[in-house]
Amino acid sequence: MIEGDDLDLFERSLEHATASHTGPALDAALEDLGWHDALAADERAAVSRLFALQGTANVTSSALDDVLAHALDRDRHAVVLPAIGRWTAPAALDRGRLTVDGLATASVRTRAVAVVVARVDETHSLFEFDITTLRRRSIDGVDPSLALVAVEGEIDGGTEIGPVDWPSAVALGQLALGHELVGASRRMLDLAREHALDRIQFGQPIAMFQAVRHRLADTLVAIEAADAALEAAWLDRASVSAAMAKAMAGRAARTACRHCQQVLAGIGFTTEHPFHRYVRRILVLEQLLGAPRSLTRELGDEVLTTRLLPALVPL
Amino acid sequence: MPARRTTRFVPKRPADRFAILDLDAFRKSVDDWLDEHDAELAPAYDGAGTLDKRMAQISKVRRLAFDAGWARWGWAESAGGFGGSTILRAYLSEAVTACDLVEPGLYSMPEVLGPSVLTYARPALSATMLPPLLRGDEVWCQGFSEPGTGSNLAALTCRATRSDDGWRVTGQKVWTSLSQYAQRCVLLTRTGSVESAHRGITALFVDMDAYGITIRPIETMDGEQEFSEVFFDDVVVPFDRTLGGEGDGWAFAMDLLPYERSTALWQRAAWLHRRLADLVRTAEPGALDPTALGEVTQLVYAFRARSRATQHRMAAGGEIGAETSIDKVLLATAEQALFDLAAEALPAAITGGDDVASERWRSEFLYSRAATIYGGTAEIQRNIIARRLLDLGSDR
Repeated sequence: MIEGDDLDLFERSLEHATASHTGPALDAALEDLGWHDALAADERAAVSRLFALQGTANVTSSALDDVLAHALDRDRHAVVLPAIGRWTAPAALDRGRLTVDGLATASVRTRAVAVVVARVDETHSLFEFDITTLRRRSIDGVDPSLALVAVEGEIDGGTEIGPVDWPSAVALGQLALGHELVGASRRMLDLAREHALDRIQFGQPIAMFQAVRHRLADTLVAIEAADAALEAAWLDRASVSAAMAKAMAGRAARTACRHCQQVLAGIGFTTEHPFHRYVRRILVLEQLLGAPRSLTRELGDEVLTTRLLPALVPL
Repeated sequence: MPARRTTRFVPKRPADRFAILDLDAFRKSVDDWLDEHDAELAPAYDGAGTLDKRMAQISKVRRLAFDAGWARWGWAESAGGFGGSTILRAYLSEAVTACDLVEPGLYSMPEVLGPSVLTYARPALSATMLPPLLRGDEVWCQGFSEPGTGSNLAALTCRATRSDDGWRVTGQKVWTSLSQYAQRCVLLTRTGSVESAHRGITALFVDMDAYGITIRPIETMDGEQEFSEVFFDDVVVPFDRTLGGEGDGWAFAMDLLPYERSTALWQRAAWLHRRLADLVRTAEPGALDPTALGEVTQLVYAFRARSRATQHRMAAGGEIGAETSIDKVLLATAEQALFDLAAEALPAAITGGDDVASERWRSEFLYSRAATIYGGTAEIQRNIIARRLLDLGSDR
């Protein structure tokens, strides 16, 4: 556990790193400040702090790879993610052929050795391979600064490492993404709040109007609900808890997008204001490892099939 | 004046087997006790029962839990409790709600009124009054709202003036839950000028059998007479029944409302969880839309998670303030979403079922419509969030 002064110091270092760097420079800064050691020592503190700050600062790093690699016990490898919207394993092993349809982060440009999880019958197995053997297509899309890469094709010459717990890795990744979504949402709310206090119409700040105030209040409620769900999900780390928290964080981020965009009005619709970068980021983050709607539907299907609700969070 | 009950409770230190301050041990012991005393604790009626019967049931559960010691943990020794973390009393509330012994709304009254009375009453008064409340021998009610004062609490006009005998109170309260059962009322009165707004309010602790109090129950749309109009006609209240000092009423109310909006709601998550489980078991195949069901499951989970964090903050001595408006919004959202889902999935039961289960769904659906109204409307909660948590400035 990282606690007390150590936690304060770690958090301050992360704040400085995410405020000053992005991309490979942030990876280097994270390396220097001991992010990998922190992840090994205290997953909850490391993941929740870094990803919230990364979301707030709208910066990118290889930290999602780090988290999944850590969960799969292959530190510092690039990890193939499921394709947009999916959370099932991105590879399949069928009659000796290992085929991949997934996503990679910018880290594939600096980490030659990648791992991918394949569904093998009813279990999951981990494979190590050379990423350059796959077809890769840069995704500019809605958020080019994320520098995602679509990877697909058949892996030739991969090495099977052995069985892994893919659902647990997904859960950890969903928690990380949930914190990043919450961090981004909080920053959007800050931007809208500042604007509401500065912008004068009808002789007063628009923050005086109840229609504006209630949009921002609803945004905070959605964010706090998602954050509470994330904190509760860390208690049992169950797949169902992480999926609920990720779904709520994605939905809260969409609520923040909608209300904050409306409050920011014209200026928030331009590239002269930073708001659009958050909208772009959220559109991608909400899809990674499961979109709110599909995770929610999956949960409902599961409850209907088993006739059991997820356990009540203990006091 | 009619004779007043003078039962005295002498707090005894618990026997060793009750000397438990750790939540896990407390949980285990309470669960075992509930199992062992199952028959004794069970309601003496089938189905929902009348409000009279449900109040008697709550009183019985409180008495048994108090006499066994459990209901005293988490309350100060000066109030007849055994001390220890407030988490312990939260667990007891949850446990008796989760096994359907009591209904969560009516049961929560001591959690709404107790903490602030403990803070503001003279020590001798709270030491006398808290134990019978916790033991279920007495019921308290909350005299805040008035016909002209709903959301705008600071405009209240129920007047208290000084006399040789004490305060003399004249005016009217409304929506006063359980007042026809109550022995005591926590009453907000106007002691300053009308223009003094929040500054001229004083809180009094009033005996409901005092001469000059008239109660007229109001029937709610779920068919209950849970709240009333309460009329005060020159009612004498001794000065030593003042909660805090003259003019401290607003501070008292601001201290109390966060408990009403958060810690008193804690056991409702366990209740919503159980009712959602009942719905999943009861609904015909295909009646529940998976996405809607998933979303309600998440809303209940998030409310529970938020409420749990609030309980732990209170136990750690943290502030219970404006942030509790978020707890209240989350409860109201989850509760209404759950019963909306029930109404969609069980249309025959809600509209025309005459069995006990159907009547319960119908009653709870109707009751859930009030969740965005009582304890500060959804709009008031958003105003508080905007002003106090987002610091958007005053809107007046």
